[in-house]
Amino acid sequence: MFFKLTPTTGQPLYLQLMQQIRHATETGALQDGDQLPGIRTLAEELVVSPNTVAKAFSELEHGGLLELRQGSGAFVCVKRRTRSLADHVQVARRQLRDLIERLRDDGLSNEEIQRAFEAELLYPVEMVRKR
Amino acid sequence: MTNAPVILTHDLAKSFGDAAAVRGLNLSVGANRITAFLGQNGAGKSTTIKMLLGMIRPSCGEGTVLGKRITDPEENREMRRKVAYVAEDKPLYGYMTVEQTIRFASSFYPDWRDAVARRLLSEYKLPPQRKVKKLSKGMRTKLALLLAFARRPELLILDEPSEGLDPVGIEHLLQMLVTQAAEGVAIFFSSHQIAEVERIADQVCILDNGRLLLDASLDHLRQSYRRIDLVFESAPPEREFRIMGVEKIQSKGHQMSVFASGNAEAVIEHARDLNAVSVEVAPVGLRDIFLETVKEN
Amino acid sequence: MLWYKAWLETRSRFLTCLATLTTFCAVFVGHAQGMIHPEWKSDYNRLLFVAQQFIVIMWILAVVLLGMGGIVREKAVGTSSLTLSLPVSRARLLGIRVGMGVLEAIFLAVAPWTTIFLVSSLARMPISITQVGFYVLLLIGGGLAYFAMAIMVSSLVEGEYTAPAVAFGLVLLSAIIFDAWLRPYNLWRLVTGDFYIDRHTYLLSWPFPWQATLGSVSAAASMLLASVKVIQRREF
Repeated sequence: MFFKLTPTTGQPLYLQLMQQIRHATETGALQDGDQLPGIRTLAEELVVSPNTVAKAFSELEHGGLLELRQGSGAFVCVKRRTRSLADHVQVARRQLRDLIERLRDDGLSNEEIQRAFEAELLYPVEMVRKR
Repeated sequence: MTNAPVILTHDLAKSFGDAAAVRGLNLSVGANRITAFLGQNGAGKSTTIKMLLGMIRPSCGEGTVLGKRITDPEENREMRRKVAYVAEDKPLYGYMTVEQTIRFASSFYPDWRDAVARRLLSEYKLPPQRKVKKLSKGMRTKLALLLAFARRPELLILDEPSEGLDPVGIEHLLQMLVTQAAEGVAIFFSSHQIAEVERIADQVCILDNGRLLLDASLDHLRQSYRRIDLVFESAPPEREFRIMGVEKIQSKGHQMSVFASGNAEAVIEHARDLNAVSVEVAPVGLRDIFLETVKEN
Repeated sequence: MLWYKAWLETRSRFLTCLATLTTFCAVFVGHAQGMIHPEWKSDYNRLLFVAQQFIVIMWILAVVLLGMGGIVREKAVGTSSLTLSLPVSRARLLGIRVGMGVLEAIFLAVAPWTTIFLVSSLARMPISITQVGFYVLLLIGGGLAYFAMAIMVSSLVEGEYTAPAVAFGLVLLSAIIFDAWLRPYNLWRLVTGDFYIDRHTYLLSWPFPWQATLGSVSAAASMLLASVKVIQRREF
């Protein structure tokens, strides 16, 4: 499994790692029962603080996506619920494609669309919760 | 026990004559973390570290390292058995060979790991029989790092560890730091290389002019620091944006740029209320956070 | 390993001084014996007394050089932060350096006289072992104060050349001042045997000046103690 963390984006590294692991389960790159490298190995591989990996793992364990077994590492457990999440993503992608199509028709360039997305995405959780 | 801070200082200060090097420093460095100590040259980083290790006496204030009082020579000596320290200029005895240096250092520490020392010796390609004074700067740095990494201390203090290393050496250094951290070693290191810090640190302390300006986790910094670029139809209402979390506002023509250490959502909402034509939010890297923090001081 | 470090640091100085002293003694005495006749016994003893004067000069030079170094010097070179980060007290750091220095100083006192004794014996001009012992004891017992002084200077003065310059200056100054006003307490005359030599036979006359030697040794001890205090208080 390959992960790539970007230290300069405004997102904690552990969140990036969580998303990439989740994404990997959605695409099928990681499947039920697959074993992830241990905290230390993965931290050394990514050259990030072991706490980053530990936090991502424990959050994912809370979410039920990983099962941490004492001494033998982390195992992926993709339940039906996550499968349906994968379906959600499929649907969302289709919707996004339509939206982007429409924006392009309105004369917006790719760059402008991208910037608009980024600006809206930066506070998804906080803003939505507030409203 | 593992959650007690490994370094704790209370109003620690040091002046040399009239010049204050460190002023009222309240530092708390956690166990099980990698803490980076940032600051310009002469900010007081090395002075602080030397005070922790009992090389210079604080003018006032106090501190503990691993629970031992730094100003008590006997407690400090006991603490040094469990602390590995790589000093700023990588001091080594020029008249010893590489092998003699390793043998010398190993004799003082019960936590010395011979196998690791031997592995690093070959990884670093250090010639065992060569005198230290005939080593290149990079090799000396590697030898100094080897002396620290061959141990399994409770706390690892490094002062500018990457100075004099090439990119491959720096990558190896960072990997070693991660390995040590994974083994439960608390790490406290000073650095000018913000890109390195940004990758591996859990916590960042910024020291400027002897004062601690910032002590926060990198996760927190990443989540809360934002630069918000706004465009208004008329002159930007700068005053309206002097709210909590806003550190700095710059405007030019119809444009306004807000540097916020937090509370960015409020800035954005405010901008929308004031009918900003365009609102663009960008994360702020550690380099900019550092520069802005130091500049404001 | 601190002993090892102290040895590595002083090794070349020590060996150079040792070679110089023993060669000098062998040549000095060996060269002189050719002209010796049995009836010139006292002349030979006089020669030995003169030899002691030269040995003292070189020995003091040597111990002052051996007393240089330590963490204050390391601060100037930049290695003090390595030494001080070791889990060792400053008193112990200094103590081991002093221990190594004293051992080397004793060796440097014994070696030249052993050489003289051996060369004399080979040349069938045997000298009394008690006279040799007397000279050596004077050198060590009286002379260690010079070493202690060098240690103290090295704890106070930082520069690579300033420290030995100050130390040698003090040796010279003390010799001049004591000779002018406090002659009975002049360490120089104690160490060279000047106080105890019989001007007819040129033999040292017993008893051994235990009191004076003890005085010098206690002066040395107090200077060493002062050095420990200085080192403990210094910042690096």
